Amino acid sequence: MADGKSSKQLLKYLPYISVLCFLLTWELIVDLNVVPNSLLATPIQVVKLFFYKLTNIQPDGSILIVHIITSLKEALIGYSLALLIGIPLGLAMGWFTLAEGFARPIFELIRPIPPVAWIPLTIFWFGIGITGKAFIIFLSGMVPAVINSMVGVRMTNPTYIRMARTYGAKDWEIFKNICIPSALPMVFGGLQVALAASWTTLVAAELIAADTGLGFLITMGRRLLMPDMILLGMVLIGLTGVIIGIIVDKIEKRLVAGVRR
Amino acid sequence: MSSTKEGLIGLSDSKKTFSFKGLFKNNYFLYALSLICFFLFWELVAVTFGKFLPRPIEVIDRVVYMFGHTLAGKTLLMHLWASLRRVFIGFAIATAIGIPLGLFMGFNKYVHAVVKPIFDLFKPMPPIAWISLAILWFGIGETSKIFIIVIGAVVPVVINSFNGIRLVDPDLYHVVKMLGGNHRDEIIQVSFPASLPAIFAGLQISLSMAWTTVLAAELVGAREGMGFIIIQGMNLSRVDQIIGGMFVIAITAWMISAVMTYLERWICPWKMQLKK
Repeated sequence: MADGKSSKQLLKYLPYISVLCFLLTWELIVDLNVVPNSLLATPIQVVKLFFYKLTNIQPDGSILIVHIITSLKEALIGYSLALLIGIPLGLAMGWFTLAEGFARPIFELIRPIPPVAWIPLTIFWFGIGITGKAFIIFLSGMVPAVINSMVGVRMTNPTYIRMARTYGAKDWEIFKNICIPSALPMVFGGLQVALAASWTTLVAAELIAADTGLGFLITMGRRLLMPDMILLGMVLIGLTGVIIGIIVDKIEKRLVAGVRR
Repeated sequence: MSSTKEGLIGLSDSKKTFSFKGLFKNNYFLYALSLICFFLFWELVAVTFGKFLPRPIEVIDRVVYMFGHTLAGKTLLMHLWASLRRVFIGFAIATAIGIPLGLFMGFNKYVHAVVKPIFDLFKPMPPIAWISLAILWFGIGETSKIFIIVIGAVVPVVINSFNGIRLVDPDLYHVVKMLGGNHRDEIIQVSFPASLPAIFAGLQISLSMAWTTVLAAELVGAREGMGFIIIQGMNLSRVDQIIGGMFVIAITAWMISAVMTYLERWICPWKMQLKK
């Protein structure tokens, strides 16, 4: 029994030990010059640079918060556009033959193109500013939003629909009162997928052409041969992604409370 | 799907005689109409804003031209092969690392406790964000591209292998035990077959992830590959080349997923029964 207890204790602390060991190894292989400092920065250097960049615009031209806000703004505009257009379109495509028949082929034509492949075209069309970025994010967020909304409506329990029809409900009433509520959990499932897709694409777009933003920070780090700046950019991208994910998850839980599970 | 849909939407009362309204309820007619409208619209926009959008026919011309003529010393097929080769190498490495790692995480809770937090640390970073570091480490050549493909492709493989093992129905283990099987039987007869569909789904995601990642990597810096073709099109202001490249990319992506679906049916046919 004591053995079982100690193994449980071990399991509880093992994750922390593991992360600590990881950070320590990382710090040590650079400090002991196993990997030269020009190729990899230590965690401490990254943290130092973080505090330095909070107030200093050198060497890349903007303080950290500007980069973060730029990226967030681009992501937010594109993402909300994708939801505003994608969700209603997907819901309609799930229910109305006309909408499905008309939008489906074009959608299927665009769907297999990876969002990243749109980057050169958007840069050519809109330049490197916020319009182009928002457009790419819109495209990458739209596909999962449409698919999930459509599938959500399609998965409505047919019994409900037949019942409503028996009681004389119109097509539009069924759509509004039965299909949409029953599709909501699926729609919100799409939000997370769309978010992950958007965030990845944004980073790619900023890497290729931008003058501010977190992806740009990484590119500058490479150009200036500053591995600490590259790592800082990567960590911030990961962190921001996680935080937005948590926020979307919270909103989702609030809105569909009681529908799911 | 179509039969349930008919019940859903109530098309069963569709008219037998031809009527204009009935035509608008026919999916295939709508599909054709939609595509015609799409290309007409494209043509119209292209004629109006000639510089920013080529006509569809010009795009096709350019693609055909690229098949026969070299661009940066390579024809279109050779560029496509350059991209695909990177994807296959990266995917093979990711599979070789990811499946065993995921399985060990599923079988052994200590391995899980050690690997999972580090894995969670890396997971939220998009694979594309690694690109600068990869270029700094390995230069602009093949190694850096394959490196980030591995990073992008390994995540779904590990997650799905791990979940595949973890979500095996415990009753199946009980059955093996009751029939007198030992631990090895459990693993070989139950764990592997039962988790194979999940693992395979992970491979599917990972392959399409690899395709996206290779494009991104080639966009940032490459001398061959499909990403190179479209970025070259941007630099030369040849929109027909960009769009033509995008279509080739899309067709490839579609073919990759079609092949994987076919393979899935062939390798783990019992998945279909599970779905029902």
